[in-house]
Order: sequence, then structure tokens, then C-alpha cells
Amino acid sequence: MKHIEVMVIGGGPAGLCAALAASSLGAKVLLVERDEIPGGQLVKQTHKFFGSEKQYAGDRGIHIGQMLLENVIAEQDIELWTDSTVLAIYEDGVVTVEHEGKHTKVKPDRLIIATGAAEKFLSFPGNDLPGVYGAGAVQTLMNVDGVKPAKRVLMVGAGNIGLIVSYQLKQAGVEIAAVIEGLPKIGGYLVHASKIQRAGIPVLTRHTILEAYGNGQVEGAIIASIDETWQPIPGTEQKIPCDAICLAVGLSPLTELAWQAGCAMAFVRELSGHVPVVDDLLESSRPGIYCAGDVSGIEEASAAMVEGRLAGLSAAFSLGYEANEAKALQQSAMEELAELRAGPMGQHIRDGINKVKLKRKIGNHAFENQTEKSGIVKDYSSDATNTCRAEIKTSLINDGIPTKEELDAIYPSDKRLTEGPIAIVECFQEIPCNPCVKACKRGAISMLRDINDVPVVDEELCNGCGLCISLCPGLAIFVVDKSYSGDMALIKLPFEYVPVPKSGHFVAGLDRAGRELGRFEVVRVTSGGDKNKTFTVSLAVPHDLVMEVRGIRIGEQAI
Amino acid sequence: MKKSYDVVIIGGGIIGCSVAFELAKRGRKDVLVVEQEYLTSGATGRCGAGIRQQWGSMLNATLALESTHVFENLEEYTGYDGDCGLNQGGYLLIAYTEKEWEQFQKNLEIQHQVGINSHAVPLDCIKEIVPHINTDGIQGACFCASDGHADPFHCTYAYAKGAQGMGVEIVTYTKVTGLKVENGRIRGVATTRGDIEAKVVINATGGHAAQMAMLAGDELPIFPERHQILITEPVAHIMNPMVMSFHRHFYVQQTPHGSVIMGMGDPNEPVSLNTKASWQYLEHNAWVVTQTLPAFRNLRVVRQWAGHYDMSPDRNPIINEAKSAEGFITIAGFSGHGFMVAPRTAILVSNYLTGQQDSLDISRFSVERYKTGELLLEPSVV
Repeated sequence: MKHIEVMVIGGGPAGLCAALAASSLGAKVLLVERDEIPGGQLVKQTHKFFGSEKQYAGDRGIHIGQMLLENVIAEQDIELWTDSTVLAIYEDGVVTVEHEGKHTKVKPDRLIIATGAAEKFLSFPGNDLPGVYGAGAVQTLMNVDGVKPAKRVLMVGAGNIGLIVSYQLKQAGVEIAAVIEGLPKIGGYLVHASKIQRAGIPVLTRHTILEAYGNGQVEGAIIASIDETWQPIPGTEQKIPCDAICLAVGLSPLTELAWQAGCAMAFVRELSGHVPVVDDLLESSRPGIYCAGDVSGIEEASAAMVEGRLAGLSAAFSLGYEANEAKALQQSAMEELAELRAGPMGQHIRDGINKVKLKRKIGNHAFENQTEKSGIVKDYSSDATNTCRAEIKTSLINDGIPTKEELDAIYPSDKRLTEGPIAIVECFQEIPCNPCVKACKRGAISMLRDINDVPVVDEELCNGCGLCISLCPGLAIFVVDKSYSGDMALIKLPFEYVPVPKSGHFVAGLDRAGRELGRFEVVRVTSGGDKNKTFTVSLAVPHDLVMEVRGIRIGEQAI
Repeated sequence: MKKSYDVVIIGGGIIGCSVAFELAKRGRKDVLVVEQEYLTSGATGRCGAGIRQQWGSMLNATLALESTHVFENLEEYTGYDGDCGLNQGGYLLIAYTEKEWEQFQKNLEIQHQVGINSHAVPLDCIKEIVPHINTDGIQGACFCASDGHADPFHCTYAYAKGAQGMGVEIVTYTKVTGLKVENGRIRGVATTRGDIEAKVVINATGGHAAQMAMLAGDELPIFPERHQILITEPVAHIMNPMVMSFHRHFYVQQTPHGSVIMGMGDPNEPVSLNTKASWQYLEHNAWVVTQTLPAFRNLRVVRQWAGHYDMSPDRNPIINEAKSAEGFITIAGFSGHGFMVAPRTAILVSNYLTGQQDSLDISRFSVERYKTGELLLEPSVV
């Protein structure tokens, strides 16, 4: 039997960060990953992360995964078992693993369960036809295996996964028939919705799939509008020809091991199902077993990374490692989590956690002298109930296209527009994200309180340099220059497709709904760099269209 | 759920449901079955599902033989539209000691007296029945072709649905928290969903039976003992019968869909209501069984679980009306073979409760036997 101080189950964002944090305090760690390559969902996330720089915001998921894995491999105190499946957690604390083809026993002093989540499925006639996929599977096919999964896809679900995978399918040259969503509003970040809308992909809320049809494989789907009781409205059926249907209808925590370990479990709708109940340091009801990431509630990978770090710190600290340093690190991790969850998008997570949070047991491990934690961490939740923290109530929430009023409110003054280039940040939703603030060397972009605020551009400080364009994870920043020439104004757009246009090319200019407004000359293309990979395309357009053109299309492909 | 019933049965396993069915069949239909979780959630749903007639006492052999006849037609008998999964692939009992082999031969005589079609298997014929068996050390073997196994879930549902069809009520996720006894007679039960009056209360709670009986002031020598089982991935069929060794404490069979299911007794297992599985068991059981059946050595185990035997001192059922509470009848203590004798036991109890004749003497199962010393000795249990 192998003895180890800290065992981490799952090598996704939470598990990698847990292993790194525990070893950083000096603990000996065993990290066990079922897949051949650790990284979890990071290995296929080609989009840039939101959040703050502490969660690597602005970096692409694949790069974050690679970086974390390199750090894990370089760390001598972390032993990494890949292609190894944890089979069971027994009453006596022994964990069994299928490792190198053998039934292997491990006795850890502390255990961190970071097993993540699995995609949910939907019931409808024809859902067993080849061509009906989980959106995550399609993302793996494309981004890990390099396989174009289909020619034309119907995406079911407008949460972040549905929106992001639609965008990535579009990048891979796949046509998206539509993104449909049963809820009356878009669940994912609106900047993702805006991004696919201007690529010409319609987002249809209050729609559901009735059936998939096809002879031996998917040839199409029948969709319909639904009423407020989620019943299809007769007469609204539409036939959508497609060769794949992607289901992005939510995730379920993978909690089998927590159940088996005897951790207290609770059904919390806001956390997406049955979850292990944990305290503020992420320890479950079973002393010495911690849970981090999606296993204890579905959230963004940014939160999973911070939770992993917190669980790793807590596990190592409870073994007596680096007591003083650990406390400060734990506190800052808790503050990061509170900040990530402070906005309206984090409301359900806050509600869910508050429903079932375990009270820390006095006398447990090294925490005898620690008093109430909630007083130490800045309480963002009271801010969040403030009227400033408002949910979007306009049509923007239904289609991802900002209204005239919303746009007018953020446009610079007419005077400033005529004076020279200036950034326009079309980011209306309070989501936890601030790379734009960090990007501006002149301090022209700011947020009122924390990373959940919408960014505000100071029109005096901004010189329209456009550095922020390629750094915005939501591709929501544009630079407008009405001083470009007497006839033409310049619009600088973020661009993440292939082929990349060259200066002198004429391309179609598209509005926020993906409609063509004319053909315009590309005057400049700059690269965001090898890592960033977002190009900034400058397009000369007539003055009256510079506030309308927000996308381009090369050839027939809307992009 | 009403406020009052003729009979309340505590426990929704094979015993509780079969007794409910047989009572209703005999006209006592005002019956409520109270189950603390879901039907089969206790020992029934966790059992090895074997049906064996090769017993060493006349009473057990009779119970098993007559129960097997019921299992053979259970769907028709209960009006069930499902498949109870009976598969009569036989039981091969193997003896590893001289003493054990002598016992087997005595058992055969008893089995033949009650009409069980078992027979001794010459050593050189064992491989004809189980081609992959390692015969090293085997002193003798017996086989009964009509032994086998059935699906404990479907069998229980068959009885439950049959009973409901005749008017029996079943409530699940309802726990009995107390028993009401007045003037030496049972009056009803207290449950998490309220009090219920009853003329007769039947305690069919397996490993919980002694605790339950204590609520009526009845002290019974029934102890829960954890037993574990594991099951492998499904593979091509290579073995029809259940193979069983009392000396090595194991039984193993291949299910119709190809999984190999195996269980073992542990002589050192403490009395407890623990239903957690252990890795020690997993490794030990796999090792022991593959000594006898080396062909299973490379199979992958996909699940393991634990359940309770409701052990009695002589490892035979206790069917007992409480002296302290007339009308409170415990049916438990089956010591690991409750599933396979449930059909006949239910008939016996129901005949008693409806004043009908029965060829078996129910008083033989009372706890009085531990005072008089007339134990029901059974030499052949795992």
C-alpha cells in the first residue's frame, strides 16, 4: 500500500491547482488523472478565460492547462499518475486506483476530490441517432482530435458552453443553423452571444427541440417555440436541416466518490444537483476529505482553479505545513472566490452555497484557534444586493444584440469622436472579468468596485491605441476613428478566424446581427502575438456606418 | 394510508411482500406493508439470489424444494407481467475435506427422502458440469440440476404487485418508530407518517428484526452480520451452475448476461448494521474464488456491495409470536437463505394466521427451541 500526504483525484483545473497549492506549502502530493493527458476541460478550451489575472484571465484555456501541467511536472513533490482511474474510497480511508493495469491501494492523509462534472442529456425522439452529441464531445473532436464534426449543426442550449462551442464550430468552418434555448433569456455571457450573432448565428430563446430525424443518422431536427409552461406552441414547428445536434443543456457534478466516501450530500438546484456539503475551507463532513471544482457545484473553470488552490492549501495546512503563510493564502483565495461570485451571474452560486455551507468544526485539524471566517473575508454579497448590480432586462438578454439605448449610453461624446480614435467597450453585463482594465497602460478603462462591474472608458485618457481589443476575452472592444479621413472612418475589430485578411483586401462588413452592410477595404491587420492569437483588423467604412459595422466576412463565410 | 388495518407488515423485502400476497390470497386483504426505504432496499436487493435445495436438514430441504416449485411459476402464480429471471442451472457443491464429503452424503439421503433430484458427482465427472474448475483438493461433489437463481427485485415486485392487486396497500419511505402494545396484545405501530392501528403486526425486517422486536418487549437472538458480494464485467458464458464451497466459504455463478457474481462468508465478521464494502474483501474473495476457478482470474470487477444476513443461533429462521405482545409475529433469522425459502415460508405463516392446515409445523421455528434445545441444526451454510 502506498502512503501519501495529499491525494488529489482529478487532473482538471481544480485538481491541478490543488496539487500545486498543496505542494507549494511542502506537502507530498499524488495527483491521479483518468485521462492520458491531464487538464480536464482545459485541454479543449481554445477561448480566452474571464475573471482576473489571478485566474489567468485573458489566457486561453488550453494554454492555462499546459502551464499548470508543466508546473505540476516540474514540481518534485507531486507524483502524477495519468491513465489511472480511482475505483473506490473505502471506510478505512484507503483509496483504490486502477494504475498501470493493477488494483493499487493508496492511503492518503488528506484527500481532495476534484472529479468535475458530466454533461446532461435531453430526452426527445431520435436522440439516439448518430450525430446527436454532447457539446463537450464536439469540442473534444474539434479542438483535441482535429476532427471537423459536422457540416451544419443545431446547438441546443445558450449557456456559456452552447455559445462558446458554437463560436468554435464557426471557427472550424462549421455552419450553425441556430442556437436554441428553452429559457426566456440567454444563460451564458452576453458577449459570447453578441460574438456569434454578428457572425450571423441566430439565438432563439424559448425554443426547444421536438425531435431529431434522419435515416440512420441525423438529417435534421424539428424545433418549436414553447410557452411559459414549457409546452410547445402548435404551429410554430420548424424543420432545421443539419447533420449534427449538439446538446449543451447543463452539467451534473460527478459525485459518486463523494457519496461512496460517506460525505454528507445535499440536493441544491443552484449548484446543479446533489453535491457534497463543504465548509468555507472546502472540507467535507468527512474529516480530511476536501472537494473542489464542479464536483461541489457547477461554475466556471476560473472558480474551479481557485477552489482547487484553496482545497490544496487547506489540506496541506491541516497537516501542519507553513501555518502562517497558508492562512494568508487561504484568505486571499476565499476573497477571489467571493469576488468571482459577487455579480448577478454568481447569484445562484452564492444562494446555493449559503443553503448548505458546513459550519467549521472547532477542534478540527489545525483550526482550533480560528474564529469566524466570514468576518475576515470581504463580504461581496451585500454589495451584490445593491441596486447597481442589476440583471439585463432589455432585448439584449434575449438575442445578445444591444439596444440603441444601451449603445447610446456608452458612446463617447460627438466632440470626442471627431477628435480621434477611441475605444468603445460593448460590454453591458456584470460578469467577473477585468483584463481590459489591466490592458490599458493609460488607465483609461476602469471599474467602479470590483471585477464584476462593467468597464467604463475615460474619453480624455483613452487615445484609441487599441491594445485592449485583442486582450478582451469577450471580443467586445472596438476602436472607432472618425478623424481617419473626410469620407471614411476607421473601425478596428477583433478577429479570430482563418484565413486572416490582408491589408488591401475588400471584405464584407457586418452589423451586430451579422447582416452585410457593404464591402470595405482592410487597411491594417495586427497580430495579438503567438499566444494571444487574436488579430485586430482595421476597416475603412463610411462615417455613417462606423457605429454599425462590428464584424467582417471573407468570401461567402460570415465571420 | 388508513388509520387502521387488520395486518401491518413491517419490511418490504421478499418476506414482507410474499407474506402480504399469501395473506391476501387467503382472504386477509386489509393489509399494509410499511417499508422504510424502497421495496428490496434491504437484504433482498443485496442478496446473492441463489435458489438451493441441497440442504442438510429435512425442514430446510422441504422449505427449499417447495419454494422452488413456487419460483418455477411465480409470474403466473402472482399474475406478474415481468420476468422473475429464474434460471435453473444447478448448484455444484464441492467438498474439500473428508468430513465435508461425508456430510454431503448424509445430506443427499435427506434430500432424496423429500424428493430432491440431487446426486453425487464422481470426481472425474466434475469437469463435465463445470469445465473450467480446478479440481485440486476436491474430495467430492454434489449436483442438483433444478437449483439455480432468480431475480430478487422482480420476485419481490411480483409478490408486491400481486398483493396490491388484491387490495393490499404498500407505503415506502415510511419508518416504523414504535410498536403499541396494550394488555399483552399488539395494537398498532407508530410511523414517521403517523400511528396505525393493527390486529396483527408482522416483523419482516431481516437484520433489524431484534431491534424491532425489542419495541414490543420481545427479546430475540437475531443478529445482523455483514456479507459482501462482487460482480464482474460480462463475458462469454462458460459456467452454468452456481459453484459453492462451505469449506472455503464461497459461492460463485455466472449470470445469464455473462457477469460473474460471487460472495463469501467471513467467520470473523462482527455483528453490525454496516453496509459498507471493504477492499480487503474484494481482494480476498477474488483470490479465493480464482483458486477454484482460475479462468476468472483476468476478469474485471465492476461493482461490490454489502448487505446483511439476519443470523440466528442455529442459522435457521425464527418464526415467533411474541409472548409479550400477542399478535406480533417476527419472521427473520434466515441466516443468508431467506430469499430462497421465502415462498414456502410465506405460505406457512399465512396458513397459520388464517387458521388453515399446513404440512409443516410452524412451532418448530419458534424461539422456544433455544430453551428446549431442539435446535434446527443445518450443517450446510456459507
